[in-house]
Amino acid sequence: MSLKKQLERYKTHLSRDTNGLTQEKPAIQKDTDKQNIYDKELLFAAENLGAEIKTFDGQFVLVRTEQFSLSERLGPYSFACLFDVVAEWQKDRAPHPLSAYNRRAEELLFFDTETTGLESGAGHMIFLIGWAKVTREGVTLKQYFLPGPGHEAAFYHHFLTDCHSLSNLVTFNGKAFDWPRVKTRHQFVKDQVPKLPAFGHFDLLHASRRLWKSRLESTRLQMIEKEILGINRDGDIPGHMAPFLYFQFLKQPNAALVEGVLKHNLDDIKTLITLYVHLSCKILRPFDADERELFEIGRWHQSLRNDQKAIETFEQLLGSQSLLGSQAKKSLAALYKKRGRYKEALSLYEECIREGKMRDPALYIEAAKLLEHQFKDIEHALHYTKEALQELGRMQVLLKEKQETEKEKILHRYERLKAKRI
Amino acid sequence: MKVRQSMADLLSALKKNDNIAHWHTIPEQKAKMTPFPEYMHTKLRAALERKGISSLYSHQAEAMEAAKAGKDMVAVTPTASGKTLCYNLPVLQSLIEDDTCRALYLFPTKALAQDQKSEMNELIDEMGIPLKSYTYDGDTPGQIRQKIRHAGHVVITNPDMLHSAILPHHTKWVSLFENLSFIVIDELHTYRGVFGSHVANVIRRLKRICAFYGSDPAFICTSATIANPREHAVRLTGRQMHLIDNNGAPSVRKHFLFYNPPVVNQALNVRRSATLEVRNLAKDFLKNGIQTIVFARSRVRVELLLSYLQSINKGRTERAAVRAYRGGYLPSERRAIEKGLRNGEIMGVVSTNALELGVDIGQLQVCIMTGYPGSVASTWQQAGRAGRRQDEAVIILVASSSPLDQYITQHPDYFFDRNPEEARINPDNLIILVDHIKCAAYELPFNEEETFDGVEIQDICQFLNDQDVLHFQAGKWFWMNDAFPATNISLRSASQENVVIIDQTVQGNVKVIGEMDRFSAMTMLHEEAIYLHQGEQYQVEELDWEEKKAYVRQVDVNYYTDANLAVQLDVLDVDQENPNAINSYDAAYGEVVVRALPTLFKKIRFETHENIGWGPISLPEEVIHTSSAWISFSADLVDQFGKENFEQALMGLSNVLRHAAPLFVMCDPVDLSVVPKIKATHNEQPTIFIYDKYPGGIGLSEKLYDMMPQLLQEVKRMIGRCPCSSGCPSCIGTEGEGNLGVKSLILKLLKDRQKDESMCR
Repeated sequence: MSLKKQLERYKTHLSRDTNGLTQEKPAIQKDTDKQNIYDKELLFAAENLGAEIKTFDGQFVLVRTEQFSLSERLGPYSFACLFDVVAEWQKDRAPHPLSAYNRRAEELLFFDTETTGLESGAGHMIFLIGWAKVTREGVTLKQYFLPGPGHEAAFYHHFLTDCHSLSNLVTFNGKAFDWPRVKTRHQFVKDQVPKLPAFGHFDLLHASRRLWKSRLESTRLQMIEKEILGINRDGDIPGHMAPFLYFQFLKQPNAALVEGVLKHNLDDIKTLITLYVHLSCKILRPFDADERELFEIGRWHQSLRNDQKAIETFEQLLGSQSLLGSQAKKSLAALYKKRGRYKEALSLYEECIREGKMRDPALYIEAAKLLEHQFKDIEHALHYTKEALQELGRMQVLLKEKQETEKEKILHRYERLKAKRI
Repeated sequence: MKVRQSMADLLSALKKNDNIAHWHTIPEQKAKMTPFPEYMHTKLRAALERKGISSLYSHQAEAMEAAKAGKDMVAVTPTASGKTLCYNLPVLQSLIEDDTCRALYLFPTKALAQDQKSEMNELIDEMGIPLKSYTYDGDTPGQIRQKIRHAGHVVITNPDMLHSAILPHHTKWVSLFENLSFIVIDELHTYRGVFGSHVANVIRRLKRICAFYGSDPAFICTSATIANPREHAVRLTGRQMHLIDNNGAPSVRKHFLFYNPPVVNQALNVRRSATLEVRNLAKDFLKNGIQTIVFARSRVRVELLLSYLQSINKGRTERAAVRAYRGGYLPSERRAIEKGLRNGEIMGVVSTNALELGVDIGQLQVCIMTGYPGSVASTWQQAGRAGRRQDEAVIILVASSSPLDQYITQHPDYFFDRNPEEARINPDNLIILVDHIKCAAYELPFNEEETFDGVEIQDICQFLNDQDVLHFQAGKWFWMNDAFPATNISLRSASQENVVIIDQTVQGNVKVIGEMDRFSAMTMLHEEAIYLHQGEQYQVEELDWEEKKAYVRQVDVNYYTDANLAVQLDVLDVDQENPNAINSYDAAYGEVVVRALPTLFKKIRFETHENIGWGPISLPEEVIHTSSAWISFSADLVDQFGKENFEQALMGLSNVLRHAAPLFVMCDPVDLSVVPKIKATHNEQPTIFIYDKYPGGIGLSEKLYDMMPQLLQEVKRMIGRCPCSSGCPSCIGTEGEGNLGVKSLILKLLKDRQKDESMCR
């Protein structure tokens, strides 16, 4: 029996993961006539997309270039603001993941890709790479569109020839998503195209999560754009539709199918510029930030071991009467203590306790520690230790075990202090 | 005061035991040793010497020679014969010579991989050379995965991991694939049936990726004794294989005893429970301080036997001297058991067939099997656990009442004279093949002229193109789908989609208690069915056919359910035919379509077998296409026998066939189905079909077609030698009815044609 017949017979057993968009259609003919027609249609599509066709090694890639004026505004900023924040970063030598210290605005490459699937395996391709550069002349945005899977060498050749340095990529989750995929697919054409340059990057997803996770239901780029930057996109093609539209395009190269995908990618990249400016402003000029942002920026500095910056940021929350204010005081107290500013630290802990907004035995314990070791005031230390026990008792507990060990620790401290008193 | 009995005392007592059906003695074998080869690296030599090894067994030496000559090989070795050195020596020798070399080890389970890593690392430590060997499986922490990808000299994994995590991400494993020199496949015999057919395709993919990165590794396989090790290895790897079967390991004198429990019900030919007999036998050895391993076929049996045997001893420490050993134990627990066995703290181990595989617990003096393990190959594997040091070893096979067990016990020559079964796979099963073409295309696009290790695949690619999975461009087929194909393809599930059985007896503790293939589920898990699980009754409350879930609740009722399944079997193609003048039947092999539709079920009271109710089953028809062997008889026979008699004979014969088939191919009973038809649609003759239950077939029925005369010969012997008069549940499956007796009817049915003129057409 022929294999074809058998395939037909076993069809029901075989069609397990074909997607909903499957349609019956005539088999592709591999003859050259067909190929010529396809190529013609592709030329036409390129024209409609406003892309030029660049060739390499018998393959080609569609390259679209667009210019935007520096005065164009997107959300609260014009693109020109990038120069201002980059200039500001120069005044600040302290290391920070978003710092552009020692870099020029022109060196930043705002970068995004579209892929044929979300998995990280070898079989999913990047079919669209877009990047933007901001220069004094304006914003240049380039997109490389893969006209079919057999053109990856041209695709990567032209992209890599145009961008020799990729050490200042600005992306949204690029380290975990886009870059590994570039590396994977590059592996297949590495003999034909330039080597991948060193990768360095600013991850705006990470930064956004730090600042806004608590207020947003998700930290997807579209959500941040809408809720934080106040940008409204009209008629956007959702990112997850991109693979399907691309698969359709491969069968019938009609510009209309992928226009939306290119637009989506372009909008994402433009948003990256605004988002970078916005995040930089928050960090560089914290007085613009709200309480939650201030607190998170302070914590970020703290985790980067930039104590000075963290102290400065938390201090701006000293006037706050909210719970966040108390939390900032607690963090600040720890930083003060680290720097030997014991008196200030103790008074912050005591203030937190007085305010009574946080239910946290650690406040009492920290105060007791300071009293015992720095001020040799055992009486007061004992007092706070006792309070800590009561506080622990008042807390609603989810993990009984944890509470028990906590309690034991405090009791131990209590006994030790008592012994010391005598 | 009790006096300890020695092994000799116990043996002479056993000699007087009436239930011993057969006593076979296997003479002692001396070791065949070969000095270390000249070229063996001094560090490797020194490391072995420090471990107390000063020369090699003949098979180990041959493996080194073969590897040196760059041959692919398969080594067949019994339990505890030092087979790991067959691959560790060549691999380490190469790694010492060139540390850019890489080796990939495949083991069927994670536990075996762990054991191997320890053994390998011990040897490496002895050598004092900075070589790295790692296991890479689902338990490997994320942080060290990257290190393994770049720097692991020996990567130890399993086929599932290779399939779903390594091959689809091959671009992250460049240094492994560029430098791969050896692929080691241990426990080759476990890769059979559907699983083996999948693994063969994973290996095709592996070879393809190696070729892409420019490496051409040699294969070193090891296998337990099966009938066709070389053929199986060739089929699995697609390489010509050098066979090493000159086992040089020594073995002690062994007594192999067949024990048949006494008959307790003459009419039904039911014998005393094998489990109870095993308890008594094991007790005698354990009481006298003789280390014993007991094999049982299910986890429940293991538990049962364990509690029996532990109850011999009163104190806590004594109780701990008998341990269970099942799949899923942690390496540390296994180490503890091994250690206990070595230092004598542990006297007995009760195990499922988990210990059939090469887990190193050393050897004991006595091995007792509760029932025939199902194949000659596994029987020898289990028997290999007995044979420690200089002492004589005893192996006792305790038969159950099942037809196969009874047959084996009554035909010891059959068992001892024959080769173990063949391992069968069918890597070209269309469904399995297409699955892996998808995975392969995901990993690397297919060229227009490319084959899949010799298999023509352009039509399949075209088909997948039409299904919008692949896309053809520039002479290549590319993966063009947003799915990740490997996640949808499991190497181990026999059926494509099983029904999961969910116990909802206890609210808040709803749990999965098992799964069943779709076909069986139709008659066993329909709504209101009484489902038996480990001796407990459950009633099916809901069967969600769409989601393939059956919700059950524990009940206590005095009836069971029996469903009617209307099976329609149509022959699509006859591939091979063998009408012959000698036999009363015509055999054929081909493709069939099986349509099954459950109609109704009956509730039947336990003791009286009376029908106490019924209900309809409304489930859609199930259709599978598969391969089948069949035998057809002349339609004239129906009149000659009388319709009712003939039907009974045909059913009885089907039942015996069901039990006899596993004697020829290594398979689980669920892999094959036997269906009798009084009037088959394709030739209008009485026909018995034996088909592969997996869609497309995995080569079982094909093999059975080839061996049909021998198979039916065994059937005749099985029926003829059963001591019942007219048929019993142990042979034909039911009690013989009618005046003639079904047994003789079946024998008449299988009679030679020449002897009975009236049967000729």
